[in-house]
Amino acid sequence: MEVSFNDVKYTYPGGVEALKGITFNVPTGQSLAIVGQNGAGKTTLVRHLNGIFQPTSGTVTVGDWTTAGHTIAELSARVGYVFQNPDEQLFARKVFDDVAFGPRNLKFDEEAVASAVTEALEETGLTKEAQSHPHHLSLSERKRVALAAVLAMKTPVVVLDEPTTGQDHNGVRMIASIVKKLREANRTVIAITHDMDFCAENFERVIVMAQGEVLADSSPENVFNLPEVLAKARVEAPQLERLASSLGWKSHPMNVDAFVDNLEAKSR
Amino acid sequence: MPTSLFDNRKSVIHRLNPVTKLVALLAIIVIVFAIPVWWVSAIVLVVVIVPAAVISGSGGRLLSLSLKILIPILLVLFIVQGLTFPGGETILWRWGVLKLTTEGLLFALGVGSRIIVLILASILLVLTTHPGQLMSALSEHGMSPKFAYIISSTLQLIPAFSDRANSILLAQQARGLSLKGSPFRRIKVMLPLLSPLVLGMFTDVEERSTAMEARAFGSPAKRTSLIPVPDTTLQRVLRWVFVALALGAIATPILMGIL
Amino acid sequence: MIKLSDVSYAYPDTDHYTLTNVDLDVPQGEVVGIVGASGAGKTTLAKIISGFIPHVDGGALSGRIEVDGINLPESTLAIAVSHVGLVIQSPFNQISGAKFTVREELAFGLENQGVEREEMATRVGEVAKLLGIETLLDRSPYALSGGQQQLVAIASMIIMRTPVLVMDEPTSQLDPGGTRMVFDVMSKLRDSGITLVVFEHKVELLREHASTVHVIADHQIVASGPARKVLSDPRLEKWAIGTTRYTRAAALAEEKSLLPKSTELPVSLEDSIDVFKGFKNLKKG
Ligand SMILES: Nc1ncnc2c1ncn2[C@@H]1O[C@H](COP(=O)(O)OP(=O)(O)OP(=O)(O)O)[C@@H](O)[C@H]1O
Ligand SMILES: Nc1ncnc2c1ncn2[C@@H]1O[C@H](COP(=O)(O)OP(=O)(O)OP(=O)(O)O)[C@@H](O)[C@H]1O
Ligand SMILES: [Mg+2]
Ligand SMILES: [Mg+2]
Repeated sequence: MEVSFNDVKYTYPGGVEALKGITFNVPTGQSLAIVGQNGAGKTTLVRHLNGIFQPTSGTVTVGDWTTAGHTIAELSARVGYVFQNPDEQLFARKVFDDVAFGPRNLKFDEEAVASAVTEALEETGLTKEAQSHPHHLSLSERKRVALAAVLAMKTPVVVLDEPTTGQDHNGVRMIASIVKKLREANRTVIAITHDMDFCAENFERVIVMAQGEVLADSSPENVFNLPEVLAKARVEAPQLERLASSLGWKSHPMNVDAFVDNLEAKSR
Repeated sequence: MPTSLFDNRKSVIHRLNPVTKLVALLAIIVIVFAIPVWWVSAIVLVVVIVPAAVISGSGGRLLSLSLKILIPILLVLFIVQGLTFPGGETILWRWGVLKLTTEGLLFALGVGSRIIVLILASILLVLTTHPGQLMSALSEHGMSPKFAYIISSTLQLIPAFSDRANSILLAQQARGLSLKGSPFRRIKVMLPLLSPLVLGMFTDVEERSTAMEARAFGSPAKRTSLIPVPDTTLQRVLRWVFVALALGAIATPILMGIL
Repeated sequence: MIKLSDVSYAYPDTDHYTLTNVDLDVPQGEVVGIVGASGAGKTTLAKIISGFIPHVDGGALSGRIEVDGINLPESTLAIAVSHVGLVIQSPFNQISGAKFTVREELAFGLENQGVEREEMATRVGEVAKLLGIETLLDRSPYALSGGQQQLVAIASMIIMRTPVLVMDEPTSQLDPGGTRMVFDVMSKLRDSGITLVVFEHKVELLREHASTVHVIADHQIVASGPARKVLSDPRLEKWAIGTTRYTRAAALAEEKSLLPKSTELPVSLEDSIDVFKGFKNLKKG
């Protein structure tokens, strides 16, 4: 499902101008990463997608709906949003029931609920914890429960707010493969992240934000080759891109394989 | 995103020393509860609370906040006491065993007027008092910093609690929870959200107290404060006047009893 | 500066040890990194080094713990915190809840210590400048983005100037520029004689700033040594910590015989420039 922002401005009640006119469009099935400095307005922006925030001016559309015309509950059938802080989201006594909450609200039948929950727990590596109490898990595990809870709703649009924060290597790999699966299923994925390697390896498009504005919007290869933009948004290129440019290469390797392929080509 | 109820303005009331306001609040509460007639509350309301609210400029917020709390309490009070007051003689209206009596209504008026004063005065204090300053002022007056923190953070906790409740509710709506329908249905769907709210608050409080200790909260040193707390001789005198009035109010019924 | 010998710990109401037989030696004036998978026991160790275990969390603690010349378990928490500061994992919970502006929030710890007003104001200004949060000073500590709040939390501990500073994932929500800035601040603090222990997932930054790195896995410290050596260890993958892309690229290049086998793979940008520059020359030669 396609989503779009049309000249969206948002000012917090205290007067902070968090978004200063944002316009872009994400076609069905695209995977988009949003990066940019702390306080750029990334969280504020994505909270518009399921109606938690309504624009001060401008419009946000999800498929053929304008968010202003629908309740958060209605929008939840289209947009799954994983909160940055899992403790704001989890509430059941068992991980299983928490993950089942969304699908039940969306009126899945019990069989579909069970299979959606089982699949989501497996994808997030939590199968063993199905009967655990969410509050007895570590913070990084609770973050994955929050993710599973949204995956189980099978929404056409999935929004992740800093999904890799606090995750170890295995956790990051798990999330990367979830993004890949969502793409393969032609679902739209929007993720905020400060991990540029994760971003370069898993997303086809990157938006760079600073001070409530979009500074750049393109493929990872292009975006990470814009030093002024990156500096302004306090972002840096992924590790191997930095290495390639330090070595004076013309190519822009976005992952380990691409880098080594380049190396091989050069040695021939 | 917890925010404080504190309404940041520059009025005289805002600039009073927080301890002056606290002493005034306590004195007012003592007075209206010690002398149990409704017109004492009315006098306090007209002479102290309403002028203070107007001067502070926070009157609007005071009204909207306190009405939310007062209306349900007063409704219940008047219905229950008015209809079921034992020993009510003067019957105004009756329906089966229920009878609306003058005595019942007067009793409700007595209790109700005191609740009104209590709530209005407390909320006005919270609205016009910077929580950090309250804490500094209390510890300057020799209260232990821990106790001072408990008082000033409790004032912050109420809005923090409602903010947290709000974001949990939003999160569940984002997962398809619909709040449409009768009030009864809304209460039913909201009930299960209470436990994470309370649990979350407890884990937060525990971790927060760790973080506070790490910032020398238990230090035996005499606390200082970044922002000076204003105090004047007039206010010092005023505080003793309030104490005297409160003591007088306690003594009144006793003296009247003796005489 | 920090000396742990044979430390074991079990949380209350659990039937297993979270940490067993931990030995740790941190010299004064160094930045030391500690890495480990989620649930490995990083936060637990951070609390032990800063005295919160056993003074706040109970449980079964054994072994010897000495920090800045103080035997922590036998001392009191009030004394412990004047020697060692802890930046906790959740910035949200580091905020006191009693302050209305970031400025006062930063001063909170100094107020508790009874520092004079003028000095407080100076130190608040200094730390705000150090972490680039001057423009946030008059905002409410709650009306901030996640990363901004994390910077305030870090600043609120740095301002205490304890001889030892322990940080539990201090850059988890920071942008890359902010992460670098915080690590640069750590190096500055080290140069002024402060000892820092950092629990982090960001291997590249640890390589650049830490002198020594320790790895926690299976309830123990399983590897210790110079940052480059420990952080290029292929077992990092098995321990669920993961190596940098530089390390992985070099390992793959070696596997494909594009690079000669080395004893120590590169971890940071600088390390790899050295390695791959060598590669160029090798091809030419
Ligand atoms: N509740 C709030 N009230 C007022 N201002 C706020 C509030 N939350 C955030 N802001 C401000 O709005 C701006 C955008 O914040 P937002 O949380 O969207 O940033 P972000 O890009 O998600 O940053 P981060 O990477 O640190 O999470 C910032 O200047 C922030 O200080
Ligand atoms: N209060 C507690 N009571 C019982 N067990 C606990 C408690 N706190 C943590 N644990 C357990 O101790 C182990 C280590 O937890 P710790 O928080 O130290 O891990 P960590 O390395 O900091 O993980 P993360 O990267 O997720 O922060 C985990 O298995 C955890 O479940
Ligand atoms: Mg954010
Ligand atoms: Mg931890």
